[in-house]
Formats: sequence, C-alpha cells, structure tokens
Amino acid sequence: MSRNSIKILPGALVCEESKLRGDITIGAGTIIHPSATILAEAGPIIIGDCCLIEEQAKIIHRLPFDEQDTEKTPVLIIGAHNVFEVDCHVESPKIGNCNVFESKCFVGNKVTVTNGCTVGAGCKVTEEQILKENVIIFGEKCQMREGLDRPGLQTLQMETLSKVLPNYHHIRKPNKKN
Amino acid sequence: MSYIVSPDVVKYACTCGLLKPISCLYFCRYCCELRCGFCVCHEVDSHFCGKCCENLPSSEARLKKNRCGNCYICPCCQQELSTRIGSKGPSNPEDPKSTPKKMYYLSCLYCRWSSRDVGIPDQGAATGGWPERENVHANRLQEVIEGYKAFITAQRQQKEREKKKQRGKFISYTDRTGVTAAALRKRIGLPAEVPNTYYRNRPKPPEVAIAREEVEDFPEDLLTKALNLMEITTIDQRLLQPDLQPTTVDKLFPIHKQLSIKRSLRCRSCEHNVSKPEYNPNSVKFKIQLFAYYHIPEVRIVTVEPLRAGKTAELILKFTNPTQHQTVITFLPLDLTDKGGDGDREVVGETQSLNLPEKQPPSLGGQPSSLLSLSSRQPSITIKPRPIRQATNCSIAIPGSKVILPPRDDAAEYDDSGETHNIQDDTKLVVWRKSNKAFVKLAVTPDDGLELNTEIVAGFTMQHIYTNTIATTVENKEPDRHDHNVRVFLSLGNLVGSE
Ligand SMILES: [Zn+2]
Ligand SMILES: [Zn+2]
Ligand SMILES: [Zn+2]
Ligand SMILES: [Zn+2]
Repeated sequence: MSRNSIKILPGALVCEESKLRGDITIGAGTIIHPSATILAEAGPIIIGDCCLIEEQAKIIHRLPFDEQDTEKTPVLIIGAHNVFEVDCHVESPKIGNCNVFESKCFVGNKVTVTNGCTVGAGCKVTEEQILKENVIIFGEKCQMREGLDRPGLQTLQMETLSKVLPNYHHIRKPNKKN
Repeated sequence: MSYIVSPDVVKYACTCGLLKPISCLYFCRYCCELRCGFCVCHEVDSHFCGKCCENLPSSEARLKKNRCGNCYICPCCQQELSTRIGSKGPSNPEDPKSTPKKMYYLSCLYCRWSSRDVGIPDQGAATGGWPERENVHANRLQEVIEGYKAFITAQRQQKEREKKKQRGKFISYTDRTGVTAAALRKRIGLPAEVPNTYYRNRPKPPEVAIAREEVEDFPEDLLTKALNLMEITTIDQRLLQPDLQPTTVDKLFPIHKQLSIKRSLRCRSCEHNVSKPEYNPNSVKFKIQLFAYYHIPEVRIVTVEPLRAGKTAELILKFTNPTQHQTVITFLPLDLTDKGGDGDREVVGETQSLNLPEKQPPSLGGQPSSLLSLSSRQPSITIKPRPIRQATNCSIAIPGSKVILPPRDDAAEYDDSGETHNIQDDTKLVVWRKSNKAFVKLAVTPDDGLELNTEIVAGFTMQHIYTNTIATTVENKEPDRHDHNVRVFLSLGNLVGSE
C-alpha cells in the first residue's frame, strides 16, 4: 500500500494507537479512539468535522471486486457529526452527515449512506442501495423505518471525551492549518 | 437456563418417560423421583411487571388485562419504551428568562421510535397520563362478555340447586344446628320457597352479529402506486395490537407492557413444591429449589474414541457428586421396560399422600362441602410412567465394580494438597479423581451393521445412593440412605468409517 499521509486539522483528537493507513484527512473536532482502524486502500479518505470514531471501529475504503481494475482513485468523503460506535465495520463509498453506525454493525461497500441514518447494533447492510435520509435499520431482520428527524448529536459525550482522552493517551499533533 | 454443557449430549430419563438434560429436571425429595416441567403442576405465584418491578395481586392483574399500567413497550420493535425529557420553550411565554418547561415523551432506544413519531402530544408529567385509545368494538365486546357471564352464573345456580335437591335426603350441616335455610329466609323476611331463578332471570342473549353484504371497494392505487414498505407495518406489529391491527406505521401506538409471572412447581404425586421463587420481583432467588442438579450425580462425556460399527471404543465419563453426602455409583444395564427407580415411590409418596384423607374420622362426613373440598384439594394422581422412546444402538460393557464419590466440598477447589480420600479404586474403571469428581473409563461397542454417520446413542442405569435428609424422623436420627436409579442416555456422536 502507498505511504501514509495523515492530515489532522486543528481541534481534532486522534489517539496515537489508532491504526491509520493511506491518505487520510481528519476534520476539526473529530475524535478517534485508540484502537480504531481507518484504511484508505482504494483512495483518500476525508473525514468531516466532529465525527466520533470509537474503539475497534473499522472504516475501510475498499472498492467492490467488480470495480477494482479501473484506473480511477475515488475519494471517500465522510460528512460531519457521524458516530461510529464500538466495533462497527463500515466500507461505504460515501457517507453524509449525522449518521450513527451502532456497535457491531456492518455496512458493505455498495451502500451509499446519505444523512441522518442509523444502522442498528449488529445489523448487516450489504445489498447495493442508497439509504434515504433518516432511515433507521434495526433488529435481527434488519427492518427499515423512516425516522422523524436525525438522531441526536453526541455533543456531551464528545466534550467529556475531549477532556478525558488526552489524560490517558498520546495524541497525534495536528499537522495542518485550516 | 443456558447450561455449560449446552448441546444436550447427556440426557436423563424423567419418571414420566421424557428425556431431559439434568439442568431441566427437578428432584422431589419426598417421592425420591425425578420430575420434569411436563410432570409437575405449574402454579402462578405472583404477577409483576418486569420493568418497574411492581407486584400486582392476581385480581388486579386480571382487571388490567395482565398489563402494567405505567410501562409501555415499543409498537415497532417490542422493546421497552423509556421516558425522555424534551424541553419545549419557556414555561412563561412572556418572560424569556424563565426556566424551560420540561416535557416528556416516550422513546425506544433500540429502533428510535418515539411517541412524537405518531403525533402523541408530549406530557407534562413523567409518569403516564398517556392517552389511552378506545377500542372501537369495546361496547360490543363488553356486551358479549356480560351476556356470557350472566349465562354462566345462571347455569351455575341451576347446577347448585340440583345438587341441593339431591343432598336433601341426607342430614345437612344446617339441619344439625337447627338453622335451616328455610328458617333463615323466614327470619329475614323472604319467601320460604326459592323460586326457580334460572327461568326467571334467564339472561338476555347478546345481539346477534349480522354479516354485511357490501364490501369496501378495491383501492385502485394499490396497483398503480409504488409501495413504500417503510410505511407498512409488519405482521408482528399488527398482531401486537389485535384490537386495531394497524396497517400503516402512523397508527402504531405505545402498548402497555405485559406482566410476567413467578410460578412455583409442585410434584404431582405428593403435592410438595419442587420449585418456589421468592415473592419479591427484584429477587431471582428461590425459597425451594429442588433441582436435580443439586441431588443427582452429574454425568459428562470427557472423551470418546472414534466410533466404528462393531468395534469397541473407549469412553471416559466424568461423574460429579453434588450433595453433601458420600455416594456410591453402580452401573446397571439399561432396562427400558422397567420403571427404573419407581420402587421407592410406592412406599414414600403414595402412602403419605393417601394417608391424609384416611386419618379423618368418618363421623365428620357431614361437614360442609367447602371444608371437605379444602382438605382433599387436588387428589394425588398416580402418574403412569410412559415408555421411553429413545432407542439405543450401542452397548456398554457394564463394569462389576463400584465408584465411590466423596461429598462436595467447596473449599476443595482451593486445596492443592492433592488429598485423595484413600479410596481403593478399581484402577481399570476409575482413571482420575479429585474431590467429588471422578473420571470413569467404559467400553462401548456400536451395533454391527449400522450405516455411516448414524448418531450413536448409548444408555445405562446409574444407581447411586441417595441420602435423604428430609425423611429423618425423631426416632430415626440416621439419615435415610437408599439406592436410586436413573437411566442415563449418552449421544456419543456419529459413526465413522473404518480407518
Ligand atoms: Zn417428567
Ligand atoms: Zn411496569
Ligand atoms: Zn422500538
Ligand atoms: Zn413428590
């Protein structure tokens, strides 16, 4: 894989133990926990502002098998205020704003996520599709329903984390000016 | 109970003939018999709500249709709903500095459904006050229920009158005291003769429902409009509200949580409890827990050599003594026709329970029927053991020697001194032992001519000495020790081919 090029904007909190590979840009206010994994295999990943990427979460930018031979290097853009909960696995080619990927969910690389979506704990979404705004996927059978509005922001949790995490972990220094 | 040896490879034959793993069995200490969930009486002890842990008397539970008045479940995913606070503007609109008014709504943390989704207004109080929806058929249902109730009462009255007429030939309790029903009626100023109330108060039958002939038109847009599955409820969601059966998600409303019960289990032949939970819903403990796991030696399969038709393989079983008393295990061939350890029941169970009514002097025969029915509540039932339907296709060489299992000693777990109880073991049979456990080596031979991949089931009768501490009487201070037979079935895996 190509060399690592990690750009961290000021205000982002990226723990040193997190596994970041490839060309990754991390927006202001984003928190990345120690053992989160972000792999930019197929092309660069740009993570927006105020995302929360928890322990064991995996964000992998990988092309589907049938597109792997093409020359293009697509960019994975992840919007703002997304929450990647513990041990989720997201390979989506495009992610909007304010989405929640709950614990141990799996989102395949043919699923485009728009805004305000919730993928419930343990749900697996692999079929090629575009998740409409405010869609909630939940339960054993991955039932889908449309929410009234976006899931609430994790502001309080992120405030606490930005105070606590630097006390116990080495933090990567921001290396990019706004 | 999820048990550590989860695949049920070792099963015990219950007295009723069913095969169950030891974790699903009870042991009645009074009959000295195994009992399973199918051969005990289940009784409801108490009703409680699993969310707020409120205990409800059964009459109140019935009145509330077995649902909790305060707790709701999600109509979308059936998880419990939680009350959440959502502030909504200042409490005093003129003064913008006044504290924001707290409003409460119900929300599901699982599927993120909320009472706001279907337009239920937020409530000012955290506890309830949620609008109850009227069933459109409530009146009709009430009418039918009342009609049938009246019918039942009338029928019962008539039956009682007929019984009274028959009983009139004998001396009744009231006659002895000199207070007859007729005299009583006269004293309080009623006509002496009871009129035939059944015909007088014959209940009015509920109005007959008439089927309608005209049907609603077929909605054309079903064929023309694209279906949005997210707006349509699932079968589960519809059946959760049988009175409404909503077809679209905007008609899903919070549902009162169904109550749970605590139940006690009673041995059918001696009427003693084999399991009785503590009354408090917060407690998961038992007052009585006669689980077989605490009384019957536990058998586990340790290893078994590959099984080949007609070839002898080595099987190592682990025996554990769960009791506080030493026991001796004897291996006996499996006898499917025999009733197993039923010999004791005739002595202990039957006589004890049958003695009760006999002890009463016969002169009390004229006592009021209510008292009589109290003493002979639930007469003892002789449970006929059913034949065991499990066939075995593997023989076990029954060893002649016995295995002694010392009592269970919780402290022994931490004792590394390797103390052996100085038990002279048959080294061919016992390959290893520690505190109350022993590994026993047996030789098994699958039947000849079996097809490959056939599941091999072997069985034997385990006779162990059971020490009954309950039967100790005043004159007999020694604990009662007797043999108890349990038939054990082992699923040893599938038959493999020759090397
Ligand atoms: Zn049974
Ligand atoms: Zn409740
Ligand atoms: Zn729900
Ligand atoms: Zn019993």
